[in-house]
Amino acid sequence: MKLNTDGTKPLYVQISQWLETEILSGNIQKDEKIYSQYQLAEMFNINPATAAKGLNILADEGILYKRRGLGMFVSPRAKEKILKKRKNDTLRQLVWELVTESEHLGVEEEELFKMIREVKEEGRDDK
Amino acid sequence: MSIIECRDLTKNFGKIRALNNLSFNIEENTITGLVGRNGAGKSTLLKIMAGYLQKTEGEIKVWGEDPFNNLQVSANMIFIDDNMPMPQTLSLIEILEWGSKFYKNWNMDIARGLLDYFSLAPGHFHSHLSRGLKSTFNVIVGIAARCPLTLLDEPTTGMDAAVRKDFYRALLKDYLKHPRTIIVSSHLLNEIQDILEEVLLIREGAKYLHMSISDLKEYGIGLLGKKEILEKIVEGEEVFHREELGKDTYYYVIRNTLKDQKVQEIKLAGVEIKPVTAEDLCVYLTAGKKGGIDSVFNGK
Repeated sequence: MKLNTDGTKPLYVQISQWLETEILSGNIQKDEKIYSQYQLAEMFNINPATAAKGLNILADEGILYKRRGLGMFVSPRAKEKILKKRKNDTLRQLVWELVTESEHLGVEEEELFKMIREVKEEGRDDK
Repeated sequence: MSIIECRDLTKNFGKIRALNNLSFNIEENTITGLVGRNGAGKSTLLKIMAGYLQKTEGEIKVWGEDPFNNLQVSANMIFIDDNMPMPQTLSLIEILEWGSKFYKNWNMDIARGLLDYFSLAPGHFHSHLSRGLKSTFNVIVGIAARCPLTLLDEPTTGMDAAVRKDFYRALLKDYLKHPRTIIVSSHLLNEIQDILEEVLLIREGAKYLHMSISDLKEYGIGLLGKKEILEKIVEGEEVFHREELGKDTYYYVIRNTLKDQKVQEIKLAGVEIKPVTAEDLCVYLTAGKKGGIDSVFNGK
């Protein structure tokens, strides 16, 4: 991953999201040791304190767990938690923006649903 | 543990006050960016920490001792800037070899490796190097010395973009392996911010902000929208910057204390919310005149 440094999203958030994606895709399995703050610092060319902040977000949410002296590991229920979080936060936020923008443009609910269905079908055709 | 402690540090040059009641602590094994406008007092502060200059008033402690004329501090500290005096009669590689006699943690492999990577001929003389190459050589000395306290004053002056990038990476990599306290002053905050942990922003010799880089990046928020709407929103808020864009469009930068609830309301009112980069924020915070350079030309 290439970090986006234009300031739109804090680096530690990008780090935690990248780690989540790695867990979701199965690149890091449950109960497997995750990258240390120093490894992440080296990989992404960032201060280790920033990397630690990204790791701590996931530890606070129970996606990672700490083992004293050994580092951080992926929780058994990590995938489930990430999916739930993304649905509740990310998707909800996107839907909020979608609804707000359609209100600005005076798009009716039915028209909006139709657009969503169309996009879904286009996606199916592409596959 | 704090390795540098400053209390009401003041430095006068004749009648000019360069540092004004500066108080802060620097924690051990952190990388701190020292930021400020030209003439804000960055170099003066670094030179006092290094023990090159004597303070006028207040207190400064490095490892618990006054750094001025202090052997303990000199032995564990390196100060890199543009005007480093280098021996005229020694070649670059000879200077590096002498480095190992001055600094107890000196690493000759790193020194040689960097010299080679940056295509500096070992047999050249320092005085014959271009400005950018001089800076490059100086930072090689700064990294290879592995001093517990490494002070870098505008280390990238004259370097091209590729070298600057490589240098920051080299500094970070060596720091990860051998943690030490690094303070680096620079105008180009955008370039160094990723490797920083803390930022110390000084303005006219006084401390303006000292916080972690991630807090600084979220310290300000930009609002772009219609004048009347924005004026209502920013009422009672701490405004850092205001700019007119077009007839009735304004761009405000305010302290980011807005709650999520309010952010949603603002968006609904048609105001665009923009992140403010740490570099832009520092420019706004240290701006001399509100309105910036334009005010000179508006004849106000």
